Amino acid sequence: MKASFHPVSSVLPTVLLTALLAGCASTDRLRDVRELAAESSKLSGYTDMSVRFRDTYAREQPYLSPAGDERERALDTVRRQQYADCVSIAKSVALYLDTLAVLAGEQQYDLSDQVQRLSSGIKAWPDTGLVSSHVNAYAELTALLARTWSAPRQERAVQAMVHAGQAPLQQLLAAMTALLRYYDKTNANEKAIVLGMLQVEIAYADTPANRLLAALGKAQQQSKTVEYHQAELTYRLAEKNLATIAQAQQALLQYVDQLDSAPARAALEQASQQLRLNRAELHHPSD
Amino acid sequence: MTDHSTPATADDLEALADSLSACADELHARLMRAIRQTLPTAPAAPLHPAGNPAGPAPTAGIDQGISQGAAQALFENEVALRQRANGLYLDAAMLAAGGLGGMQHQLLDLSAQARETIRKVDRLKDLIGITSELLALGAAIAAGKPEHIATPYTQLKSLLDDLHRQSSGQPPTA
Repeated sequence: MKASFHPVSSVLPTVLLTALLAGCASTDRLRDVRELAAESSKLSGYTDMSVRFRDTYAREQPYLSPAGDERERALDTVRRQQYADCVSIAKSVALYLDTLAVLAGEQQYDLSDQVQRLSSGIKAWPDTGLVSSHVNAYAELTALLARTWSAPRQERAVQAMVHAGQAPLQQLLAAMTALLRYYDKTNANEKAIVLGMLQVEIAYADTPANRLLAALGKAQQQSKTVEYHQAELTYRLAEKNLATIAQAQQALLQYVDQLDSAPARAALEQASQQLRLNRAELHHPSD
Repeated sequence: MTDHSTPATADDLEALADSLSACADELHARLMRAIRQTLPTAPAAPLHPAGNPAGPAPTAGIDQGISQGAAQALFENEVALRQRANGLYLDAAMLAAGGLGGMQHQLLDLSAQARETIRKVDRLKDLIGITSELLALGAAIAAGKPEHIATPYTQLKSLLDDLHRQSSGQPPTA
């Protein structure tokens, strides 16, 4: 290609630049997806209650007879194994949702910074005269960008990820829901063992000779009652949140192909809002 | 030929555990009633027909109850029941969490694919960045304007450093 120093009009690159910038501008459509995925991935309440389940034996231990202690230790070993499985499930769900949030990210396909710099770079040339091959290269690059990394392309990638992930995601969420329920019921038996033991022994310690013992026992009974009440509240909230996440993901599946529509925006925003409310409640569980 | 030995499902195990827990609740209620009949400090409770297999049945009208030793033995039975129930909940949990490897793999694969897409976009951003800096640098050199070289040169160097850091797994500085 022969080099020539024709002053080349910068109209063509500018037109392409404008088209490209316009394509980069509208990432707002994915905002609802991004927020919903990010909130969901927190799995608020789930990990805490899994840890609580794992540590059941430590809490029960002071209240168990030697025979009871031996039985519980066998359960403890299996619980720790189960906890590892439980964590692994939560991690794959969280990773999927986090990655979805990044893929739907605001800055993700926004190349306007880069395109601006290209534009400044090109503008520095007019004084010296542009070589046509350089302009061609620049135009080709801009065209490539416009073709390859556009907002619609990003949206299609997000839609594909939502569709493909929905079935395994819902199955894993269903399993996590069942697990939380078993943890909740285990907690109920734990509470009955601890408070039950105190109740039985306090009844026989409630004599003048054992006044101090009875008082100590009752104080412990009081604080344990509060502790278990808090735990029960938290289990309910965690279960509710998991249900919200499952519903929110179903809404996402339903609306991801029509993100600009009013029902889509309403449904997805409402789902994110509910998840945020759930998370706030979990920080301060109350009746 | 019917298979009579179908393995229990998680739901079966949960239902059984629920019954055991309910049984334990009932045992506890009876135990506490029996204890309250013994002890004057405890509030009076209505008499119930005997049905306690492991201890002396409280009979109406007589201020008999159970000794601490008997109460402890009965409570120990209750604890054993609850521990059995918890063991079943644990079995149900193992069942529910088992066989999910396939689902997890699907999600992990999708996440890996998406991360690859994200990485390619990042690389492209870097490529464009380098191209624009090269253009600016070239323009400054061609124009013979040394004062315009410093900025694109610095930015270019920084971009290349970041790229190098990324490919060796460290986070970029900017």
